[in-house]
Amino acid sequence: FTEMPTDNFVESSFWNFDALFQPQQHPARDQHDTFFLLDPAEAPQLPPGYSSKVKKVHSQGGYGSQGYRYEWKVEEAKKNLLRTHTTSASARALFQLARQEKFSPVKYFSIDRVFRNESLDATHLAEFHQVEGLVADRGLTLGHLMGILRQFFTKLGISQLRFKPAYNPYTEPSMEVFSYHEGLKKWVEVGNSGVFRP
Amino acid sequence: DEEFDELCFEFGLELDEITSEKDIISKEKGEEKAKGASDVVLYKIDVPANRYDLLCLEGLVRGLQVFKERINLPRFEKIIPAEGEGQRLIITEQTAQVRPHAVAAVLRNITFTKNRYDSFIDLQEKLHQNICRKRALVAIGTHDLDTITGPFTYTAKAPSEIKFKPLNQSQEYTASQIMDLYRTDSHLRHYLHLIENKPRYPVIYDSNGVVLSMPPIINGDHTKITLNTRNVFIECTGTDITKAKIVLDIIVTMFSEYCEKPFTVEAVEVVYPNGKTHIYPELAYRTEKVKPEYINKKVGISETPSSLAKLLTRMCLKSHVTGNGNHLEVEIPPTRADIIHACDIVEDAAIAYGYNNIQMQIPKTYTIANQLPLNKLAELLRLDLAAAGFTEALTFALCSQEDIADKLLTDISATNAVRIANPKTAEFQVARTTLLPGLLKTIAANRKMPLPLKLFEISDIVVKDPNADVGARNYRHLCAIYYNKSPGFEIIHGLLDRVMQVLEVPPNEENGYTIKAAEGTAFFPGRCAEVFAKGQSIGKLGVVHPDVITKFELTMPCSVLEINIEPFV
Repeated sequence: FTEMPTDNFVESSFWNFDALFQPQQHPARDQHDTFFLLDPAEAPQLPPGYSSKVKKVHSQGGYGSQGYRYEWKVEEAKKNLLRTHTTSASARALFQLARQEKFSPVKYFSIDRVFRNESLDATHLAEFHQVEGLVADRGLTLGHLMGILRQFFTKLGISQLRFKPAYNPYTEPSMEVFSYHEGLKKWVEVGNSGVFRP
Repeated sequence: DEEFDELCFEFGLELDEITSEKDIISKEKGEEKAKGASDVVLYKIDVPANRYDLLCLEGLVRGLQVFKERINLPRFEKIIPAEGEGQRLIITEQTAQVRPHAVAAVLRNITFTKNRYDSFIDLQEKLHQNICRKRALVAIGTHDLDTITGPFTYTAKAPSEIKFKPLNQSQEYTASQIMDLYRTDSHLRHYLHLIENKPRYPVIYDSNGVVLSMPPIINGDHTKITLNTRNVFIECTGTDITKAKIVLDIIVTMFSEYCEKPFTVEAVEVVYPNGKTHIYPELAYRTEKVKPEYINKKVGISETPSSLAKLLTRMCLKSHVTGNGNHLEVEIPPTRADIIHACDIVEDAAIAYGYNNIQMQIPKTYTIANQLPLNKLAELLRLDLAAAGFTEALTFALCSQEDIADKLLTDISATNAVRIANPKTAEFQVARTTLLPGLLKTIAANRKMPLPLKLFEISDIVVKDPNADVGARNYRHLCAIYYNKSPGFEIIHGLLDRVMQVLEVPPNEENGYTIKAAEGTAFFPGRCAEVFAKGQSIGKLGVVHPDVITKFELTMPCSVLEINIEPFV
């Protein structure tokens, strides 16, 4: 797996949410959950051709999708924030991959900091690290995703796994990965995953 | 209980908690208050954010029963009344400024019981919180049709012109009085701002001038629904027409079960300001054609088309095989507004098959692994700094404004820092522009440890950058600090030499590194130097100014080195 560049804590809403098909009215984009920036408040540039494609998919649909059918505002997408997940870096990496002349399969990973506007307590911090990995190739299936996850967690010493259907705005199908914790004697969520939407 | 937990897990729901009303009150108010409360077991179920059809008991049970193949998904029918007999909702142009869209429907001859009534109100609340985004996008109003006469008018009027008796109140109020009345109401005050400052407030009247509601705040008392209500008029107003339609569809599909003719909804004609009319609810059934091999390929299974059709039907997506057996026609009911692409259908097929039944494989993708050069450099340096006797620290990237400015004897405007608009606490106002405060705070928290304290951190700092596409960028800094009874400038200098040695940067001016005496606001005057390498200034080292030490609540002298390591990648 190749490491992705993730050295930008400041991200625009475009890469953090819109390019990942998270609608502009989604609760996670609220003031409560995301750190929005006072200064610099807006991203000076968004990739022009790509941002108009994203606008179309949100408001009218495309690539086989019905879309969300609402008015997509570019001002909303320009709002700067501290990234809430490293998936925004994955989106950038995939964008670069898409602009390559010839497609080559890739496996990417990253381990870096993310920020969520939460009050601190025993199980929550305002900034924490996420491990993210993705595989891009032809003919990948949900079974492959489960296989990779099983190998990854086994190497971490976690081998009792179950997969549960879940929901992410940008993946479909999505799965939450649960592992049985001997100490707590119950199944705890150890990860989230999915196949990116076309 | 375990069986239900398993079922929820397979279906995609999370059984959060098994409790009872008694338990809930016990936990919140103490055992005494709980006496006499119901012991009936309650399940707290977490429903994914995109499944509006599972938000009420009726929908949830229906979904699970279809999943278990106990019942078939009911077919919802829209009854269009004969000409002149149906209800009409007329929208006037004044609403365009405040809340332009409205849709409506009628549930005929419905029978309510206490449980059904509670469920009905509950669903509206849940939808308000969820898809309606706290009533901002859509607001739902339900009324007893027998207390009013159509046609209904949805218009907007100045607050002083609107007067009615709000729900559960005993007298009439004008709209402005209503705003004041509910300003302290724990539930409703959050919605007042949605229309408060507009010149006109939205309001719905019947043909006799009776107020049905003033969305999104409150309904009128006159049209209150009781357990004896037989005919319900539902209206949804809002700023997003797609969501209003979805909300209406969900409510009627869920509760038309209790109508005399189950699963039928009476349509309402909505008249727009430009004269055009539209029949609601839409209750659209959409068909999508999917290839079975597409589903099989995406999931990694190989099911026959007819078994795939069965799986999808179990997920409320009625399907059958068409073509020469190589096509699936999937009918998407109005309850599944979350299906917007073939991949949503694929997910449902996988859920019905059972995620844990899918065989796991490793992709046959061959790639060459690579570490990002900057990270590789940071990792190598971390090992060397630790070998030099320094301990690594990991500190927060966000800090208070004082931490990077006042406490370091500099002004905030000189720091070029990225500032946060909505911090929850003062500790997270800005993104750090230097690693120094983090390390100083770490030392302050570890005062009791034996001296000398030697800490380092190699991590990102954030500064504004007009050239970056988002207006800011990260720099990878290395910061080391030596805290002891004497400042130890020579130790920090030695560390810099060691770092340069492992980076293979020679100590000369042309192609290596050099240090020159300089001034730094956070440093002791005359004990500060600037480090130059690769043709640029990469940082500073020196003895920390006593004022800075005091501001961080420390008592001993210390010296620090901070450089940018990106030029060395």
